[in-house]
Amino acid sequence: MLWKVLHAVEEANAPLDLNELSRRLDVDRSVLDGMIQFWVRKGRLADDATVAGQAAVVCATHGCRGSCPGPQGCPFTMKMPRMISVSSPAPD
Amino acid sequence: MTVITRGPMQRPVYFAYGADIEEAIGLLSAAIQAAPLVAEAYDQRWLAIQLLEGDQSLREKVSLYPDAQPVVDALAVSRGRLQQLYGDDVDVALVDHRYEFVHRLVREAVVQTRGRYVSKSDKIDRIVTHPVFGIPIFLALMWVVFKVTIDLSAPFLDWIAGVLDGPITNWTVALLSVVGLGGSWVESLAVDGVIAGVGGVLVFVPVMAALYLVLAVLEDCGYLARAAMVMDRVMRKVGLQGKSFLPMVVGFGCSVPAIYATRTLESQRDRVLTGLLVPFMSCSARLPVYVLFAAIFFPQYASLAIFAMYLLGIAIAMIVGLLLNHTLFKSDEPSFFVMELPPYRLPMVRNVWRQMWNRTSSFLHNAWTIILVVSIVLWFLLAIPVRGATSSFADVPVDDSLFGALSSAIAPAFAPLGFGSWQASGSLLTGFVAKEVVIATMAQVYQVDLPAEAATPPTTFSEDIGFIATSFVQATVDTVKSIPLMIGINLFETEDAAKPTTLMQTVRVDFDQTSGGHGALAGLAFMVFVLLYTPCMVAVVAVKHELGTKWMWVSVLGQLAIAWLVAFIIFQGGKLLLG
Repeated sequence: MLWKVLHAVEEANAPLDLNELSRRLDVDRSVLDGMIQFWVRKGRLADDATVAGQAAVVCATHGCRGSCPGPQGCPFTMKMPRMISVSSPAPD
Repeated sequence: MTVITRGPMQRPVYFAYGADIEEAIGLLSAAIQAAPLVAEAYDQRWLAIQLLEGDQSLREKVSLYPDAQPVVDALAVSRGRLQQLYGDDVDVALVDHRYEFVHRLVREAVVQTRGRYVSKSDKIDRIVTHPVFGIPIFLALMWVVFKVTIDLSAPFLDWIAGVLDGPITNWTVALLSVVGLGGSWVESLAVDGVIAGVGGVLVFVPVMAALYLVLAVLEDCGYLARAAMVMDRVMRKVGLQGKSFLPMVVGFGCSVPAIYATRTLESQRDRVLTGLLVPFMSCSARLPVYVLFAAIFFPQYASLAIFAMYLLGIAIAMIVGLLLNHTLFKSDEPSFFVMELPPYRLPMVRNVWRQMWNRTSSFLHNAWTIILVVSIVLWFLLAIPVRGATSSFADVPVDDSLFGALSSAIAPAFAPLGFGSWQASGSLLTGFVAKEVVIATMAQVYQVDLPAEAATPPTTFSEDIGFIATSFVQATVDTVKSIPLMIGINLFETEDAAKPTTLMQTVRVDFDQTSGGHGALAGLAFMVFVLLYTPCMVAVVAVKHELGTKWMWVSVLGQLAIAWLVAFIIFQGGKLLLG
């Protein structure tokens, strides 16, 4: 089952919604989340959720430098949706 | 709908891994049992499984026991056997068995009372993220965004302009007269520098608020996240994935967080390529320039002209991306991704208001910091004489001022684009700091030398307050009237079009002169130049921070070259076509 999840992401020929993937593999959504997190821990998949959060925080504290309007952070921040993709074979 | 039914307990459920794994667990468990100190500390089966899965910290703890050596030896033998079967993925095999077991258990215990459940969000997504219909729907929604933004905000734009030109200017002049500074250079600094500069930008606060309102609605209802899926096919043409489009969507608001958002991308190649393309997305700070120029040169088609700027930004980003993908950034087809799409929901008023307020207040903050400073610096540059023997500080024809001289030096570079006056060039020069400053500069350089307008009778304080209140009510009424007009329904009598302001008239005259009578083409070329050149200094710092100094220079110089080239093609090409 774990391999099916990894292969589904690796061999997808279009972007997938997590719910759609759950239906396609006939796996409960919460179980699918667990399996994805397993592959993320193994370094085979990358989960953007934490990185996206960091992007907003960095922008609020360092990125805008003098133009940041204070604790509200960036002039324009947007909550990024969570995305899971295949990890690059080796970091650049 | 999933329903768990409760039935009689038939049999206890035991979980067993496959024969090969159970054999390895058995071998290791036996070794653990034979080591009394280890066996006393841990459950044998649990420990065997953890060690086979490769739990290093546990292995180190166990190896500290005096009788642990046989366990360590047995672990090496057991793992070695499993590695012959599963390679380096022994842990995957173990975890996979557990998931298989849970899945089988759920299958047996859970009864699906209905067929496969398809939510309302899924049904909407079948249309909205459809490979064919998705992109036209995305473009249509963008059109609605800019139509609503412009039409809703226009009456309030006139209201703020009226308040700044009337009561605020009157009160400032009166206050300075009371303290004995009437008619001095301080009055000129306050009225021609601060009020004209900062006020010229504050006029556009309703436009920004309306844009942020509509974007917040789209964001809160869950649509914006879908843009990445919709645009995936287009992004693939330039060697990127739809994921790269999300920083670009953020770029419609502000380039700075958009550049920082590129760090969500996995590969350095994608980060650099996306970071180079993000500044072509038209950020909200450019909107006031479009609104002003569209009102001057394309009053009947203002929304269309502004929408075209946003589309052009996307198109240029795609073309540049395509070129880079086939030259500097050659790579294999990027892989696809899985995305957690939030369910569609009705936007919450509190969320929408908070988003709109945060973004508008930061725009206001910019007006009171960067734009105020630039306006004051600009006023001094306009007040310092560098030519003309009779000129003195704050009493100098603008052409002879330091800013006039600096701007005149770069003006010839813009002559082939149709806007080679020092005023237009100077506005682009200060626009490097922030795009809002373009309007602030124009408000100062085009109005400094204007002849005094026909004197208006002096007003009292209470009359000014009355004017502010009544004109606000009128603006609100006009906004309400504009709502049915957006969908082509005219419920009210046609009113005269808004009168062009003095700034609009002088810009029109200047562009007509510098372009040889092709003012509209020059205006369009100016809008395109503003769209494509460096967004602001903070964005340059962000690119340096994220991509390094080399790419920062590539970004700045590349955007300047592309902006000049596209504006040149539009102006000169347009002239050829129009004859």
